[in-house]
Amino acid sequence: MRWGMVIDLKRCIGCYGCQLSCKAENGTPPGVFFARVHKQEEGTYPTAQTIFLPVLCNHCDDPPCVDVCPTGASFVWEEDGIVDIDPDMCVGCRTCMLACPYSNRYFNDEKRNYYGDAGATPYEQARVERHQEGVVMKCNFCRDRVRDGKDPACVENCPTIARYFGDLDDPTSEVSRLIRERSGFPLHPEKGTNPRVYYLPA
Amino acid sequence: MSPTGGRYEILLKDFQSEYRPQREWAEGRGAFLIYGHFLVGVASGAWLFGLYYQDVISLIAGFILAGLGGLAHLFNLARPERFLKMMLRTATSWVSRGFWGLTLFLIGSIIYLPGHLFPGALWPVESLFSQLGMLVSIAGSIVLIVYMGFVYTASKAIPFWNSTLHPVLYISYAFRGGAAAFLLSLALRGEAVGSGSEILVIWIAVTASVIILWAFEIQGALSSGDDTARASLHEILAGRLAIYFYGGILVIGLVVPAFLMAGIIAPLSPTLLALIGLTSVAGDFFMKFSSIKAGVYMPVRVHGPGHIKRT
Repeated sequence: MRWGMVIDLKRCIGCYGCQLSCKAENGTPPGVFFARVHKQEEGTYPTAQTIFLPVLCNHCDDPPCVDVCPTGASFVWEEDGIVDIDPDMCVGCRTCMLACPYSNRYFNDEKRNYYGDAGATPYEQARVERHQEGVVMKCNFCRDRVRDGKDPACVENCPTIARYFGDLDDPTSEVSRLIRERSGFPLHPEKGTNPRVYYLPA
Repeated sequence: MSPTGGRYEILLKDFQSEYRPQREWAEGRGAFLIYGHFLVGVASGAWLFGLYYQDVISLIAGFILAGLGGLAHLFNLARPERFLKMMLRTATSWVSRGFWGLTLFLIGSIIYLPGHLFPGALWPVESLFSQLGMLVSIAGSIVLIVYMGFVYTASKAIPFWNSTLHPVLYISYAFRGGAAAFLLSLALRGEAVGSGSEILVIWIAVTASVIILWAFEIQGALSSGDDTARASLHEILAGRLAIYFYGGILVIGLVVPAFLMAGIIAPLSPTLLALIGLTSVAGDFFMKFSSIKAGVYMPVRVHGPGHIKRT
């Protein structure tokens, strides 16, 4: 079992729905984005266009973030290959952030509220404040949801069905089929990390 | 500024830039890593030179600087109370190996130093226990010298650091720091040296290797075909860090000590030796400061026209 994700760049309209649903699901504090949409301008006038590139942790088969972690806080779940962080083990050295070629790790350095002096909203008290400060955070493919048989929140809430989630080890799964038939490609393959998030050409 | 604070605004702004500067090991508590690497680099070099020349001042300096460097490393951690967990992953993590290196260094030097500082009071320098301490401290200092460069090389997100030359450069700088510390020790003892003395020859040789390695590093970044590494280099040579490179690394760290050493101004008195040592060490600090600050993340983007269908 190797969970993986496919993102269809042709379908993505840059609505930031994935980013918002991720925030709602995980209650991430300000400055932490498990899912993010990167805007990229391609070409020059008059053929310029904007490409929306949704990014998240690539849950690499050979994750450099896990190798450099001095405490074992960054680790790979053996049963499904998801790369995760144990916040109780993290010392906040931030080495993993500099090892991740995809910049998808975030440092929750201090308590911060979305509305500043107004204090934490009831939502923030319920969801955001459960996260530890002084540790690195990142996407874990909504592992709790996945174990309950659901898709990750960003996949579930994508209005254009641009995201697909499934088992990369199963050649008949939709993700495997899409990668095969539509030439799915990972980001920065030259780094040798073997990412599990694939993109379909726009 | 938004209610969420300035750092949040900076993060969002960074995400909009082509080459996002790394701030993790450069700003806020991250700056302590620069101090930490500078201090333990000089400390391990000073310790090895102290052992080679049996110079107590260099040994004491190495021990104190290593202690301060360890504290700086701790201040760099957001959760310093968990620091003991850092000894768990020596198989893959250079940070973990560095932790062990510093631990061995401090333990070994605590065992070895008393023989020099309090002769006759505790165990003698020639005793097996003291010699064991010396071996442990040598092992620790070698790990410390090597670990720093490899920590940067393991940072795949920063192409400028992700270079095989970086560890060699850091090793050279550690020896240069050690030579400078020994020069300072000579100055403290009021000793003058001749222009052809061994320590000066060593300093010149190590400095020459540092210059060559910098040239290779610059050439490597320019010819690597990696725009991100070139962006880092641009920051050093012609950007926000140029003042530190030309003023700190080149003028203070190389030109001034080489000029003084050539005996152009005056014979090598203790005062001149102290000046050479201090400027050399200051140059080493600017080198670490510049190369760490110059780190920029490789952009996350779709490469190649084959991934984008033109309409």
